[in-house]
Amino acid sequence: METKDQKKHRKKNSGPKAEKKKRRHLQDLQLGDEEDARKRNPKAFAVQSAVRMARSFHRTQDLKTKKHHIPVVDRTPLEPPPIVVVVMGPPKVGKSTLIQCLIRNFTRQKLTEIRGPVTIVSGKKRRLTIIECGCDINVMIDLAKVADLVLMLIDASFGFEMETFEFLNICQVHGFPKIMGVLTHLDSFKHNKQLKKTKKRLKHRFWTEVYPGAKLFYLSGMVHGEYQNQEIHNLGRFITVMKFRPLTWQTSHPYILADRMEDLTNPEDIRTNIRCDRKVSLYGYLRGAHLKNKSQIHMPGVGDFAVSDISFLPDPCALPEQQKKRCLNEKEKLVYAPLSGVGGVLYDKDAVYVDLGGSHGFQDEVGPTHELVQSLISTYSTIDAKMASSRMTLFSDSKPLGSEDIDNQGLLMPKEEKQMDLKTGRMRRKAIFGDEDESGDSDEEDDEMSEDDELENGSSDEEAEEEENAEMTDQYMAGKGVKRRKLEELEEDSEMDLPAFADSDDDLERSSAEEGEAEEADESSEEEDSTAGEGGISESKAVGEGSKAGLSPANRQSDHVNLEKSLLMKKAAVLTSDSGHCTAEEAFASEDESEENSSLSAEEEDSENEKTIRKKLSKPSQVSSGQKLGPRNLIDETSDIEDLLKEEEDYKEENNDSKETSGALKWKEDLSRKAAEAFLRQQQAAPNLRKLIYGTVAEDNEEEDGDTREELGGLFRVNQPDRECKHKADSLDCSRFLVEAPHDWDLEEVMNSIRDCFVTGKWEDDKDAAKVLAEDEELYGDFEDLETGDVHKGKSGPDTQNEHIEKELKEEIDPNEEESAKKKHLDKKRKLKEMFDAEYDEGESTYFDDLKGEMQKQAQLNRAEFEDQDDEARVQYEGFRPGMYVRIEIENVPCEFVQNFDPHYPIILGGLGNSEGNVGYVQMRLKKHRWYKKILKSRDPIIFSVGWRRFQTIPLYYIEDHNGRQRLLKYTPQHMHCGAAFWGPITPQGTGFLAIQSVSGVMPDFRIAATGVVLDLDKSIKIVKKLKLTGFPYKIFKNTSFIKGMFNSALEVAKFEGAVIRTVSGIRGQIKKALRAPEGAFRASFEDKLLMSDIVFMRTWYPVSIPAFYNPVTSLLKPVGEKDTWSGMRTTGQLRLAHGVRLKANKDSLYKPILRQKKHFNSLHIPKALQKALPFKNKPKTQAKAGKVPKDRRRPAVIREPHERKILALLDALSTVHSQKMKKAKEQRHLHNKEHFRAKQKEEEEKLKRQKDLRKKLFRIQGQKERKNQKSSLKGAEGQLQ
Amino acid sequence: MATQANSLSYAGCNFLRQRLVLSTLSGRPVKIRKIRARDDNPGLRDFEASFIRLLDKITNGSRIEINQTGTTLYYQPGLLYGGSVEHDCSVLRGIGYYLESLLCLAPFMKHPLKIVLRGVTNDQVDPSVDVLKATALPLLKQFGIDGESFELKIVRRGMPPGGGGEVVFSCPVRKVLKPIQLTDPGKIKRVRGMAYSVRVSPQMANRIVDSARSILNKFIPDIYIYTDHMKGVNSGKSPGFGLSLVAETTSGTFLSAELASNPQGQGEAVLPEDLGRNCARLLLEEIYRGGCVDSTNQSLALLLMTLGQQDVSKVLLGPLSPYTIEFLRHLKSFFQIMFKIETKPCGEELKGGDKVLMTCVGIGFSNLSKTLK
Repeated sequence: METKDQKKHRKKNSGPKAEKKKRRHLQDLQLGDEEDARKRNPKAFAVQSAVRMARSFHRTQDLKTKKHHIPVVDRTPLEPPPIVVVVMGPPKVGKSTLIQCLIRNFTRQKLTEIRGPVTIVSGKKRRLTIIECGCDINVMIDLAKVADLVLMLIDASFGFEMETFEFLNICQVHGFPKIMGVLTHLDSFKHNKQLKKTKKRLKHRFWTEVYPGAKLFYLSGMVHGEYQNQEIHNLGRFITVMKFRPLTWQTSHPYILADRMEDLTNPEDIRTNIRCDRKVSLYGYLRGAHLKNKSQIHMPGVGDFAVSDISFLPDPCALPEQQKKRCLNEKEKLVYAPLSGVGGVLYDKDAVYVDLGGSHGFQDEVGPTHELVQSLISTYSTIDAKMASSRMTLFSDSKPLGSEDIDNQGLLMPKEEKQMDLKTGRMRRKAIFGDEDESGDSDEEDDEMSEDDELENGSSDEEAEEEENAEMTDQYMAGKGVKRRKLEELEEDSEMDLPAFADSDDDLERSSAEEGEAEEADESSEEEDSTAGEGGISESKAVGEGSKAGLSPANRQSDHVNLEKSLLMKKAAVLTSDSGHCTAEEAFASEDESEENSSLSAEEEDSENEKTIRKKLSKPSQVSSGQKLGPRNLIDETSDIEDLLKEEEDYKEENNDSKETSGALKWKEDLSRKAAEAFLRQQQAAPNLRKLIYGTVAEDNEEEDGDTREELGGLFRVNQPDRECKHKADSLDCSRFLVEAPHDWDLEEVMNSIRDCFVTGKWEDDKDAAKVLAEDEELYGDFEDLETGDVHKGKSGPDTQNEHIEKELKEEIDPNEEESAKKKHLDKKRKLKEMFDAEYDEGESTYFDDLKGEMQKQAQLNRAEFEDQDDEARVQYEGFRPGMYVRIEIENVPCEFVQNFDPHYPIILGGLGNSEGNVGYVQMRLKKHRWYKKILKSRDPIIFSVGWRRFQTIPLYYIEDHNGRQRLLKYTPQHMHCGAAFWGPITPQGTGFLAIQSVSGVMPDFRIAATGVVLDLDKSIKIVKKLKLTGFPYKIFKNTSFIKGMFNSALEVAKFEGAVIRTVSGIRGQIKKALRAPEGAFRASFEDKLLMSDIVFMRTWYPVSIPAFYNPVTSLLKPVGEKDTWSGMRTTGQLRLAHGVRLKANKDSLYKPILRQKKHFNSLHIPKALQKALPFKNKPKTQAKAGKVPKDRRRPAVIREPHERKILALLDALSTVHSQKMKKAKEQRHLHNKEHFRAKQKEEEEKLKRQKDLRKKLFRIQGQKERKNQKSSLKGAEGQLQ
Repeated sequence: MATQANSLSYAGCNFLRQRLVLSTLSGRPVKIRKIRARDDNPGLRDFEASFIRLLDKITNGSRIEINQTGTTLYYQPGLLYGGSVEHDCSVLRGIGYYLESLLCLAPFMKHPLKIVLRGVTNDQVDPSVDVLKATALPLLKQFGIDGESFELKIVRRGMPPGGGGEVVFSCPVRKVLKPIQLTDPGKIKRVRGMAYSVRVSPQMANRIVDSARSILNKFIPDIYIYTDHMKGVNSGKSPGFGLSLVAETTSGTFLSAELASNPQGQGEAVLPEDLGRNCARLLLEEIYRGGCVDSTNQSLALLLMTLGQQDVSKVLLGPLSPYTIEFLRHLKSFFQIMFKIETKPCGEELKGGDKVLMTCVGIGFSNLSKTLK
């Protein structure tokens, strides 16, 4: 037994022992140490055959070039968006389990229910957005367009299902993302052999679909309802290290896989009309290309929209900042899935969201957010219970409000909203917007209330409150006490670790002044809200501004005065825009002033500061004491600002040269000159150039007053250029740039100003040939011969030599000099290396390398260009770059989108390029899918998926004839490409598409009907069908016939004069001229005479029109649970079936049994004359067959006498003998002749030989003679020469 | 459809060409109101109508609506079609007026454009055909629009007011454009020019040449000004003469200036010597402004940068002309693109006035008209 268990000995293949052995073996063979067989035995590797060598070289080159892709500019951002991982598979295959396992593997958190995309940090440089894809074909199509990686789950116990193949085909059409197969249910196999076989079978089938060698992952079995940890870990490793190739569509279009949706509609509008169009905001990572504000987007399943606003938010699931460590710590393993109710703490424009990290996340982190989360985690009662029990004081002396009070006040949220809330388990910002339209008081109140609600729901507004507290003055502390107490109440419910939290926060806040400042900004934005409420004006813009300021607190300088000033300026701006009675001009003035602010006197600045401080002091009290104090303060504030504005205006007026103050006449004189001057001034004032062009400036400039400028940016859209624009609205449209104030080019100094623009002028140092040469001399002039150790000095000018000497002298004294010398030496070395590289690498570079290098250079430039600018400014230039977390506002969204919102269905926002929102005729190359059972019929409505869109349209199929004519086809060919044309959205050429008959329900067969590619886009189209016009001859002359029945009037005939016609029997002809009667008849000439029974026809081509039918598939608008039941226009066949209308068949088209009559042929009659002329062979043999010869005509047989017989026999014998004799004689003669001929031939040969020899001799002699002659002649020539 | 929603609206007839060209390229409809609404002679002028007709000829499926008085224009662009086209331009403006817009549109046609334009080749208002040939064509080549069929040929010269000139312009189509980095204007290595005279004494051209050289010789010796005297049927219908000068730099930048004589019967007679001198001074002004692109072609360069792939393009310009400034605003409203504008002060160097460095990221435009074979 034991011997069986022993392992067999395995020979060592590596390690010192193996090496030693190998060496010994080689020594035994007396081969020395040479291991390389090529060196050891060069003969064996010598070139045997040049042809084979050439072939193998060719082959390697082929393989090498096959690997090349067209180089593209790498436009991936530095911080790429999360990779979209689509987990796809038929139902019950284990998709959700896999996602849960993966999330747990990466983040150590467990998500119970997964709705919508889940974003996680999977590594130091990679994030994943995992999303599940069901079997609804709509979802499959949409997700295939945004997927970077597809995890294709296959139930091994069942095998492949149709959905898998459908999804693969969808992927193929819309650019092939990376696909990885995952086999599940492998534990259902009893026998190992069967398992192996199945794996192999499935693997090979998978390979044929994807590519040979595609990765297929095996999940062997479940443990406690989850996949095995090790396997999931391995799968996760595969995903994190995977590389992706850019897909054309995805890289050229921006897109967002939304992970959050908010309804921003005015509740009042919803109340009055529940079906009103909604305004929603959607959140998600921007992917693909840059997205610009106000651009067109398409939401698959909803429709086309214009982006009404877009802003970027801090990344909710950011990558770890420092990358020192090998792996992520627990805090950095973030997960973000708002639709599933998971995410970090998230501030945004109009709400604050909190989410709970894992139960053991952030353990060693001590920070306000962390504590908050901890406190929330450790609460015991449910949110609902807390909601019910919570009390809140609005004002210090009012009675606390409970949730029931709120309900009583009729501030109930819309029902569908509530549903959503319950699902996501988060407090939505709905409540804040809920009272916007009511009076400012309630707004204020509501703000407070919502804050408290959130506070109690475990949101982080509480934190904001706390931070506010930190900034409060003593006065405020009293007011705060109430709140503090209330907080403590709350804390009593929770664990006892809270005191630490409560204590620490103040200290923390005090220590981090910056954050406090940020909070200030927040406060100010809050105030703006309230003021806007006062004015009764919608203040979305102001809110936007406020939040922007709030969002980028880090950007703010810590300098207090500066900041406060900027805040003040901003507030002024906000108020002027909000108060409503401020005109554009005023706004203008203030904006202008902002630049000039810096030039204000110091006193003014001081006073300003004072004001700000005062305001700052008043602010907290306003917030705390609420309603009563609020208005007064506000009035104060507004008056302050008005004062300020007035001051500014005054200032401006002073500044402006008497434009407004002086009389009208004065004002009018030489206006154009002034304008010109102004323009020139503007031209010269360089920093204002961008402002001049684009109006406002959003970015922080290098100018001294840049800060204030930024605060004003984005608020005022009315600007000077517009005003100017009106002046010159009707002036001359000319592109020439006329010289307003020409220089006097006769002056020497003016001439000198452009002296260096010419080659004759002075050159820059790096381009001046003489200088460059000198420099090179210096660098390369002296070198050291390494072999001999000699040092060669280059020629150096007298002054450089002097310098050298000086330097040497100095070197002894100055150690710094040594450093510089060292640097110089390094520089020299580098330059030499460059030279060497250039010399030796240049030859190798191919066209491909050059192209690649060019692309790389461009990519570097793209990266570097805007790197140093902050995001606010960058966004203006580039658009929002991929990788940003953005919030997009969209207006006029159908209410069903919100009402029937189902987080399980992905919401994709696909950006559209220019004029991709337009419609036109699209022509494409199409092929019916080989697995689709039917062929497709022209004019049957069908659903296409092209670009981002899914839509139903009516295509016409056509085929292109050899002459370029596009001929209509009734049906698509079975196994061939054909053209298809439809009226629909314009999509760039080269985009792939697929067609399906219906997206509703489950069809038994393969659903993808056709695939292809877009070829052409146009606004008109020419597809023709054949039309045969028939007519009948009614009068026939020789080759001319009169034909009727083809046309109805002479006019029609006139149109077709000269057209080619033909008879069915093949006689060709031409239409000549119309006849007077009957109407529509014409004269035609043919190549032969017609018969009255002939049918004449003309082949014409009739253009067909394409129905302008474009119906986007609005599957996302269907009610929850019915989203896969969208059905559009039905085909004629379906309608007939539904209504029981049978097709009326053409009677002629019906098949009948064929009855064939017996054919009778007449006997052939040949005219007598012809018969006579025919040769005998062909003559009809009319003679009757010889009958029986009558007996009397028959000759009798001869019977000979014996004697006669004897004679006859003798004669016979004699003749035989004679003939024999003759034959013999002939033979003999023949033989003799032959002999004679042979002898003769021999003789002849001998003679020839003799002659030949003779001739040979003769020629030799002749040749010798000739040579002699030649020699002599040469000699003679030489002699002559001599 | 959504097309109605993203339509843009403007007032006034100024910058009509820009608006229509950008509308055609971006596919966004445009409505222009109040065209000379307060004028005694309201509505579109002949040359504008002719321009609209030209647009109609080179596009397919455009919808143009003009009201009774011609004060309101609605233009819904179709797809650029191209092909062989002939167009009689209005003699009120030069062919340059039409050609400038065609230069913007021609690379994005379905079929390569081959157009015959008839009208005024050289006038005092618009950039002449000579200048466009010398400056705009090399500029387009920088963007990868090149080939045998890319040419601009002046068959006949026509001066205002009679016109009678003829120009053949042909341009290949491209699917995408290359990004450019034109930051170094180089140094001017030669000056070339064309002094033309039609229906006047051929001696005029020579007089122009001499006077222009007298000024330019102070800067650079490599000057050659061709004289072009057209006769008979090639000389158009009105007399006139003029000069166009082009300075070429070591890095392939072309700067130009031109002047033409007053049209017959309008203004005083111009001495050819004065004209030559003034034109030379204009060229010096242009050199003073500098940049990598001529001041007339600034907008063309910026447009083609905008229509590039999503890569960074840079160009160094002289001071921006009012036309360019308006063009930048239009680019922003049509394509949502903003240029990064950096001023490069001239400093101590003797290289003319301040320069402006314009940087942008292309919008990733691709020619939607071109057929995929």
